[in-house]
Amino acid sequence: MSGRPLTRCEDVAPLLVFYACDEVEPQEREQIDAHLAICPTCARQLGEESMFRTAFAETLQPADELDPTGALLAQCRSELSEQLDDLQAPQIREHWMPFGWVRRWMAMRPAWSAAGLILAGVAVGTQVTPWLALRRSDSSGQAVNVMAAPRLTDEDLSKMAVAGINFAPAPDDAPGTLQLQVRTEQPLVVIGNVDDADVRRVLTYVVANGERFDPGVRLDCLDALKARSDDQQVRRALVTAARKDQNAAVRLKALEALRDSTSDDSVRETLLEALRHDSNPGVRVEAVNLLVRSLQGDSPDGPSMDGLRVPGEPPTAELAGDRGDSSVERVVRALEDLQRGDPNRYVRLRSAAALRQIGSRDVQ
Amino acid sequence: MPLPRLALAHVFGQAAGTGAALATVASLPQLDERCLVAEAQAGSRAAFEELVRRYDRDVLRLALNLMKRPEDARDVYQEAFLKVYRNLHRFRFECSFYTWLYRIVTNVCLDQLRRRQARPEDQAPESNSTNHDEGIGDFFERQREYRPTLDPERRLLGREIQARIATAMELLSPRERVVFEMKHYQGLKLRAIGDALGTTEETVKNSLFRATRKLRNQLGELR
Repeated sequence: MSGRPLTRCEDVAPLLVFYACDEVEPQEREQIDAHLAICPTCARQLGEESMFRTAFAETLQPADELDPTGALLAQCRSELSEQLDDLQAPQIREHWMPFGWVRRWMAMRPAWSAAGLILAGVAVGTQVTPWLALRRSDSSGQAVNVMAAPRLTDEDLSKMAVAGINFAPAPDDAPGTLQLQVRTEQPLVVIGNVDDADVRRVLTYVVANGERFDPGVRLDCLDALKARSDDQQVRRALVTAARKDQNAAVRLKALEALRDSTSDDSVRETLLEALRHDSNPGVRVEAVNLLVRSLQGDSPDGPSMDGLRVPGEPPTAELAGDRGDSSVERVVRALEDLQRGDPNRYVRLRSAAALRQIGSRDVQ
Repeated sequence: MPLPRLALAHVFGQAAGTGAALATVASLPQLDERCLVAEAQAGSRAAFEELVRRYDRDVLRLALNLMKRPEDARDVYQEAFLKVYRNLHRFRFECSFYTWLYRIVTNVCLDQLRRRQARPEDQAPESNSTNHDEGIGDFFERQREYRPTLDPERRLLGREIQARIATAMELLSPRERVVFEMKHYQGLKLRAIGDALGTTEETVKNSLFRATRKLRNQLGELR
């Protein structure tokens, strides 16, 4: 308020509103009181202000009318409490879930989901894995060991068992792809061709240690190795199999695999030993054939001795013509012994034919 | 009803771990406003709800008097207290919590009133006093007629004046209406109203003076 004294009605009248509701300063109140005492107009106006204020005070307020029982207040409190709960609750964040709809679908249909998963597992196991393995081997030509260890150790070889051999021939002259299913400490698959070191080690080990493996597996290994008989390691394994394997079919196959290596002394010794001591006539006949073949020139390209010559046919002197060495003599003696003493007639006949073929001096 | 929820909140208490002041359930209502606010700022839900219980009756009353419609008053109540909850950490005790709360409430009310003024179709309905006499009002309304403090003749006169006042109040600006309501219905001092509205006492005086003049011109003699 202004500092001038409140003596005139135009100064006091505007303050009567505040005077009536006790909102004037104490010194203003004194001055207004003094003016009201001498001014009936302002006193009447104050009376009206007071009546107006009293009327408002006595009139039912909207709040009394609108919420007489406090139900609205209770409702507001309840709603506020819920809102506070929502604000305080940790927000549930929807994490990114790949294939979320699949998971929801599976959760609603457990039986169908189980059947689908089983089918998917079977399909993957039977189709996808071999296909991937073949693709890898075709593309790289390198052996792929499914296990983490890249190479088989000697200990692995001593403990291993071969569950099976799969052979996929190559379209051209390249060696085909082998898949060896081996069980050592844990199952593993060795994939590659016969030139791969690990593959060759497994094959030669199986051939040289025939007693530990199935004859069918040994025959498969011989089939795989026969193209590489010029390799010393392979040749030793073949010789061992031809001498020691308990199965005649395996020994025969081993001799066949050595067909192109008869110039090697160890191979020739093996043939002679088979000629004298092998219990199987078929093996002995094969040994005869290979020995004759070796004496014909030691050449893979030489004429094959695939059967008996016609008895009585003159021996080809040229076969033994230049071979006066001791090995030829040993072969002839062995054949002569076989011709005389082999219990099998066919072996005796084949030996006689072989002697004629090599132009034995004693055959007359 | 919210009371069990509030009671549970006190017992299990978000008050736990917020300080020794809220160690027991019974101690909460005895805490002064400053301690309660401090606890609420520290994260105590129980302390905040105690603050709400202390002041929400006045808040709802102000909202009802200003908005004249229960649903609008309810919206004001919710919006105001949620604003308080979200912004409590900004309260720096530079004024009383009550003043700060009223500042928020009146701002929310003013916003609502201004929005309502901008939409004529959204005006508050005029009260229909005959509904109560004809028994159309709800159960609680009818119960009120049997209060011994309200004799029928005086109540009828009060309703008539109330209807006239409600009509006259519609002529006031939102701010004038808030000032008038806070002064005459809430009984606040002009300084407190100025604090609540974030303005000076002189400005509040001017608003109250204009509101009173308008109402008197509109209402004339009330008796």
